[in-house]
Amino acid sequence: MSTKATPAVLLEKCSKWYGQVIGINDISLAIDGGVTGILGPNGAGKSTLFKLLMGRLKPSSGNVRLFGVDPWVSTSPYRRVGYVAETEKLYDWMTGHDFVSTLARLHGMTREEASERASHVLDFVGLGDVENKEIGKYSKGMRQRIKIAHALVHDPDLIILDEPLHGCDPIARTSIMSVIRDLGSQGKTVLVSSHILDEIERITEQIVILHNGRLLALGNLHAIRDLLDKHPHRILIRTENPRKLAEYFVTEDPVYGVRFAGEEALEVLTNDLSAAHNVLPRVIVDSGLKVTSIENPDDNLEALLRYLVGGAS
Amino acid sequence: MDKQGRGLAETVWTRLDRKAGAITELTIRQLRHRLSTWVVLAVGTLLLMSLLAMFIAGVRGGWEPIDNDGDSHDWDQDGYPAGQEFKYGSDPYDGFSFPGSGFFVQEGSFEWGSVGLYSGNHTWRYATGIFTYTWLDDSQIGGEEIIEVGSLKSCPEGELFEDFWIDWGDGCRMDVNRIAVHEASFVGNGTFRVQEGFYAEWGHFEDTFYVEPEPASNYIDEDDIDWTGDPNGINGFDDDGDCLRIGWPEDTEPDFWWGWDARHQPDRNGNGIPCDVAWISDSSGNIIQINPDDNVDEDPSEESLAYEDAHRAFIIGTGKIAFVMILGIFLPLFLSLGLVRDETENGTLHYLLSKPIHRGEFITYRILGYLIISGGFVLIMSLLMGLVTASLGPGDSIFRLNDMILWFGIAFATILALAAYGAIFNTLGLLSSRYGVYIALVIGVYEFVMAVLTLGGATLIPVLSVSHWTLQLIDSIVLIVWPNTIEMHLIATAFDLPSGIRAFWNPPVHTLGTDNPFISGLISVVVLLLITTMMILFGQAQFKRREIM
Repeated sequence: MSTKATPAVLLEKCSKWYGQVIGINDISLAIDGGVTGILGPNGAGKSTLFKLLMGRLKPSSGNVRLFGVDPWVSTSPYRRVGYVAETEKLYDWMTGHDFVSTLARLHGMTREEASERASHVLDFVGLGDVENKEIGKYSKGMRQRIKIAHALVHDPDLIILDEPLHGCDPIARTSIMSVIRDLGSQGKTVLVSSHILDEIERITEQIVILHNGRLLALGNLHAIRDLLDKHPHRILIRTENPRKLAEYFVTEDPVYGVRFAGEEALEVLTNDLSAAHNVLPRVIVDSGLKVTSIENPDDNLEALLRYLVGGAS
Repeated sequence: MDKQGRGLAETVWTRLDRKAGAITELTIRQLRHRLSTWVVLAVGTLLLMSLLAMFIAGVRGGWEPIDNDGDSHDWDQDGYPAGQEFKYGSDPYDGFSFPGSGFFVQEGSFEWGSVGLYSGNHTWRYATGIFTYTWLDDSQIGGEEIIEVGSLKSCPEGELFEDFWIDWGDGCRMDVNRIAVHEASFVGNGTFRVQEGFYAEWGHFEDTFYVEPEPASNYIDEDDIDWTGDPNGINGFDDDGDCLRIGWPEDTEPDFWWGWDARHQPDRNGNGIPCDVAWISDSSGNIIQINPDDNVDEDPSEESLAYEDAHRAFIIGTGKIAFVMILGIFLPLFLSLGLVRDETENGTLHYLLSKPIHRGEFITYRILGYLIISGGFVLIMSLLMGLVTASLGPGDSIFRLNDMILWFGIAFATILALAAYGAIFNTLGLLSSRYGVYIALVIGVYEFVMAVLTLGGATLIPVLSVSHWTLQLIDSIVLIVWPNTIEMHLIATAFDLPSGIRAFWNPPVHTLGTDNPFISGLISVVVLLLITTMMILFGQAQFKRREIM
């Protein structure tokens, strides 16, 4: 494992421009241990950050270090790194086991070692039963998992996953999330990027938020969420009789107002989202009304960013 | 790092070796899964198989003896082969002139440009006009200006040379007993009216006697090469006597200007010995020049020379054109251009480069993988060609082992070319994924042209090409495997024999003045390896600096 002196990931005043376009802008960051979510909308600089870490790109200014080594110059840190790229292309003609063991051999393993490790990681990501099927016949979720498997085959200390949940169905999503949580609990450093707050929330508390190439926030997601929760929020409840339900809500403390959004929907306005959610079940039971859905339209990354950007200005 | 419990025997090298193995294997498997690979290999196989089929058909068809000096042919169709006519001093191109035909005695002629008539039973020569006859000899056949009476066509309506025209030496029938002729000869009794502005003469042949026509086969392979193996001894023997001309009839020197006999020189090479062949060797005993006297050893038996020449020409020609110029250029165009480029474009490069492998190594192993596929194909094909030519080729031995060695030499040279082109095209694909293919096509055409120039014997301009050095390497290997090829080349030139070796093989030129094929071969190998290495290094330098999105 890495020592405290050399964190797994270190960026010092790092910037990357593509001509006039900014990829990331003056980011300093040190990450070591645990699962860290890299959050940001599309184009925030998540992939640029990862490509800098994987030596694909050369920083325009500043330094990038993986385990204390500049990845643009040396490939040696990759012995301890597993990278799940955003790319969707795979060698469709290969079987899953083939794919993972071939890439394992690039770590200097013998054929036997590689085959053994491949079977092991394929089991770990839940592809053990389809390892001899051609990748071309895999589902979207399986394809994402095979990409994770190849990144884990050499038992790396740092795992970087670029949008691993992108395009997966809910079942695949859940199983990939549990794989990522398992890795974190094994004491590895995991970086996982996403543009969906909810996904990251289910994986980790430790987050880095990127916006327009800048590091917007860094720290515990709940702490950031709490800040956000203290700001006006909407809860959208779909019910058969919104007017009647509104009567029950207006008397509640965290609620400062209600609004009717169409025939069968009620918007509850609050300044304390968690408190509002605490009273929500009781109020609905008391009302005896049938509720078809409850949504938090403001509880997403865009709202969080809006809040953070707004707060900064 | 020793998590997999690797033994102490493990070194950096064994791990490097495993990475190399993995990338190379991946490359091979990728190429195997591409349709274009199979298409180009299938086309290559088809090409070589059709060449092999031609070769086998040639062997099965056997070898017709070749009349190298052309004297077995009866040019004027008077029934006597040219060789026999030379011997008797008659004109081999004149159907009236043949052994025993005697001499034409001219009795009269129309003056040029005059108009007139003449009657009688004569031999009419160089006649242009209209002949009205009571008898026409239809036994004369062919010859350049003898009209074939039996097969004369009817003349078109109108006046000769006004309304219609007749070919030189030809005629046409105007009526049952009337013909029109143009510069033609015939025998007949009647009245000739000369065409205004033309000519005719008449007369008869004297001193005719009968000579038995010899079979044409007497004049095929009648004068073999008599080489004692000692340049200082007397070499060359006039087997058919057409140089020494002992016992030939007197006064056989014909007066026609095109007869080669008129310029016959029994000691053309000026060594004081008539009718011999001077074989000139250098200080180390290698034949460097061959100077024959006229008509000596001019029609050698095909058994000894032409079969071997044709056989070698097939191997060298196939090796140079099919292997180097076609497979050597097309396989890399199809297989090597996308070695790294396609991975970059597909995004699959990310999987490979996230492993602890240097980009430079990656290029090298990719090229290695491509070389195993393309080189393996070339090797298998050369083995196949070798087995067939070595089994069916001329000579006493059951299996021509040297053929096999030469085929492996051709495969070796082709593989070096594949490596050089592979490195060049791969680098082009890296430099520009969009235009690389066009530049590669231009280079392919350029290399082909340089190869053609090299085949034609150019030694200076093609130096700036891969194909030149590859072809010279084959020339060198040919000379190493068959040292007497140079002698066959000289013989073919000296006796003006039709030779495939002359068409496909040139003595290697870049020998640093030593004429040693090992030196030229070595230089070629070094140049080819240098080009390959430089291009790989250039590609690596480009790739290392590249940012991959």
